[in-house]
Amino acid sequence: MTLHVKRWAKSPNFPFYCFVLSLFFVPLFLQDPYFIHQLIFICLFAYLSASWNIIGGYAGQTSLGHSAFVGIGAYVSTLLFINLGLTPWVGMFAGGLAATLVSLIIGFPAFRLTGPYFALTTIAFCEILRLWVTDTETLLGISLKGARGILLPIKGHSPYDFQFVDKVYYYYIILMMMVLILYVCYKIENSKMGYYLRAIKGNQEAARSLGVEVTQYKLLAFAISAFFTGMGGVFYAQMVLFIIPERILGLDISIELALITIIGGRGTLFGPIFGAFLLRPLSEITAAYFGGTYLGVHLILYGVLLMVSILFIPKGMTELFNRLYLKLIRSL
Amino acid sequence: MDSLVTGIRMQIYLQAILNGILIGSIYGSVTLGLSLIFGVMKIINFAHGSVLMLGMFATYWIWIFTKIDPLVSAIFVVPLLFGIGYYIQSFFLNPLFRRESAEVVEPISALLLTAGLSLAIDNLSLLFFKSDYRTIQTFYTTSTVHVGGFTLSVPRLLVLGASILIYLCLLWIIRRSRLGRAIRATSQDRDAAALQGINIYKIYNFTFAIGSATLGLAGAFLMPYFYVHPSVGVVFTIKAFIVVVLGGMGSITGAVFGGLIVGMIESVGSLFVSTTTTDLLVFLIFIFVLLFKPSGLMGEE
Amino acid sequence: MALLEIKGLTKNFGGLRAVDSLDIRIEEGEILGIIGPNGAGKTTVFNLITGVFSPDEGRIVFEGHEITGLSPQKVCHKGIARTFQLIKPFGDMTTLENVMIGAFCRAEKLSTAMMESEKIIDFAGLSLKRNFLAKNLTIGDRKRLELARALATQPKILLLDEVMAGLNPKETIEAIQLINQIQSRGMTLLVIEHVMRAIMSLSSRIVMLNYGKKIAEGNPKEISSDEKVIKAYLGERYDQARNERS
Repeated sequence: MTLHVKRWAKSPNFPFYCFVLSLFFVPLFLQDPYFIHQLIFICLFAYLSASWNIIGGYAGQTSLGHSAFVGIGAYVSTLLFINLGLTPWVGMFAGGLAATLVSLIIGFPAFRLTGPYFALTTIAFCEILRLWVTDTETLLGISLKGARGILLPIKGHSPYDFQFVDKVYYYYIILMMMVLILYVCYKIENSKMGYYLRAIKGNQEAARSLGVEVTQYKLLAFAISAFFTGMGGVFYAQMVLFIIPERILGLDISIELALITIIGGRGTLFGPIFGAFLLRPLSEITAAYFGGTYLGVHLILYGVLLMVSILFIPKGMTELFNRLYLKLIRSL
Repeated sequence: MDSLVTGIRMQIYLQAILNGILIGSIYGSVTLGLSLIFGVMKIINFAHGSVLMLGMFATYWIWIFTKIDPLVSAIFVVPLLFGIGYYIQSFFLNPLFRRESAEVVEPISALLLTAGLSLAIDNLSLLFFKSDYRTIQTFYTTSTVHVGGFTLSVPRLLVLGASILIYLCLLWIIRRSRLGRAIRATSQDRDAAALQGINIYKIYNFTFAIGSATLGLAGAFLMPYFYVHPSVGVVFTIKAFIVVVLGGMGSITGAVFGGLIVGMIESVGSLFVSTTTTDLLVFLIFIFVLLFKPSGLMGEE
Repeated sequence: MALLEIKGLTKNFGGLRAVDSLDIRIEEGEILGIIGPNGAGKTTVFNLITGVFSPDEGRIVFEGHEITGLSPQKVCHKGIARTFQLIKPFGDMTTLENVMIGAFCRAEKLSTAMMESEKIIDFAGLSLKRNFLAKNLTIGDRKRLELARALATQPKILLLDEVMAGLNPKETIEAIQLINQIQSRGMTLLVIEHVMRAIMSLSSRIVMLNYGKKIAEGNPKEISSDEKVIKAYLGERYDQARNERS
């Protein structure tokens, strides 16, 4: 029995699994609502980054327009809720599907380009969406409220309406979503799709010569990524109860998701998680230290870390951690 | 009565077109340097706008402390940005390029690296320069000239002049100077250039430096009527990239034309639709050109 | 019926005619060598067969079916595999993972692909290096990898583009042995090569291209004494000198 336990404890990701598991027990020891609130947002960004990772990490296609999917999820679900009374639980799927549909619309043209040109195109698509929503008061009779944003009607503690007063509920929901996306990524990693995506990331021409339908797989990864990102957008809307194009369709979120994953480790299972848990608390600490007067100090750190990452740690922080852990195991 | 209305309408359109040229020259002046950098090193330089912002701040502070007119302070700002650009390339980007010769480095890395740099620069500026919008008021800030019944803003005309100046300077450097020849050789075939004894990394340094120096001129000439704020960089970077794509990546002349197109769309477009919509249109055209005519209007130079 | 037939194949790049009304037949089980000076259009022919480019004129028929203009992915699925002159390994993946990409052409499950790949890696002599990252392999091993990867797609015909380039004499002999082994298992091969010794010993038939046209065809003996071949490789004056001496 002990030998069996020891074997999978040797897996380099073992500490990360433990970490995620431990997150489930946090509310037993810490109930400070502010702290839980912060944790929820860290987990949300971990979840969103993990969704980004499917296309940006495994397939190596750097999308800088993922904010579009966050926003689409949020808007679709919210509008269905306000206008049709549809519960956001179903709205999550609707939002995810809408995001998937848009991802195909974006992907078909965009995947004809590679690397930085693909990235620029995704930025353009997201900006187009943001500008359009900003400028639109009503669409087919549905009120979009444009630049003013939409306030969700507050229902207090209403599980049917996906609203809770006690933040702990949100916390466990996002934890479950995190586990879900980790599971999806794990399955992808160990499947034909995962191998094909890595080949696409490696060399598209070689992949084609070996029978890989490159464009189809890129679209598939993009669609899956968009679906889960959209779901995350719905969660965001239900947490914050206010959506505004400048924030939820903005370039900032797109860049943050890419940044978190790149620094944490592209195309790795726990890279996005690690990245989020490293970067977001850093931003909280710097915000607290410098006070409200200096917004964006954490971005200095983000920028520096991104540069350090590209230049010195291209595989990401989790790879370093993996190696440290393996060294530790061997010395025991 | 009808002809009067038509006359007024023509007047408005033509004024918009003229303004479009002026606005376009702003974009052109900022993009020329980017075209050079892209043309030679084939990288997407996301830090371009941040360097412009630094140049604009430098102009501002020089004016605050010495009252030197922004146009004159270009004498100081241009070499300053030259140095900054040289340093950026040699310290941050060249290591990336060196790695590229050993192993495959994806082109997206340069974009991300410069994006990180711009994040750092923009927010360090926010930290030190604070978040106020600053302007310089010179005696000609609000001056206008009247030409043939049209009103043209003097500071904008000066920017037009600056962009022409930058264009001619770059053309001279690239076509006539020894450095320019080396730059052209390096951009055409890096390995062949290296074999001819050209230190390609030094050439990269100079290219980035020159590209940044142009921002010094552009920024100094912008200050009389524009504002400066740490966030100004991002807006200009994105606009500059749209112009580069529209005009033809790597083409200096294309940058001028691309700028004019964007300027026209914004100026004439604003007669009919909101600014948000003109921005949206510009992005749409950007995507179209990227997909269907990636060589832009002018293609490779 | 020939396994692969190229009829009247023509391809222009701008003003340059890279391939000119080419007719080639490849019979099942043979090794057809393709030789010719640099720029003769040899790799372009490969690219046309495997769908990287579409021909301007002509047809490509494989196993009696028209495959002209099919995408590279579909051509691979039909049973034509190739290696590249400038090898393209998936650098950040291991030897095994590289070969598995090829194996996934015919397999759906991870375990199947892995099993098939292990066999091929064994055959190619890379078993000791199966967990090495491709970018850390020597040039000789990378060429083996490229070959193994293509083999994993279970092709009916294998197109090798200058596999011997950059190999030392020992590696060259090993490569020749490997290719012969592949053929003895029933594979048909189309081989572009500059290393004369190798191609003469491997091929049952040789085709020579120059300026996109077929200028000679025959068995190795015929080719080595063909005037046009000698002229193309060694120049007019050698040919004259040779004639004067005889």
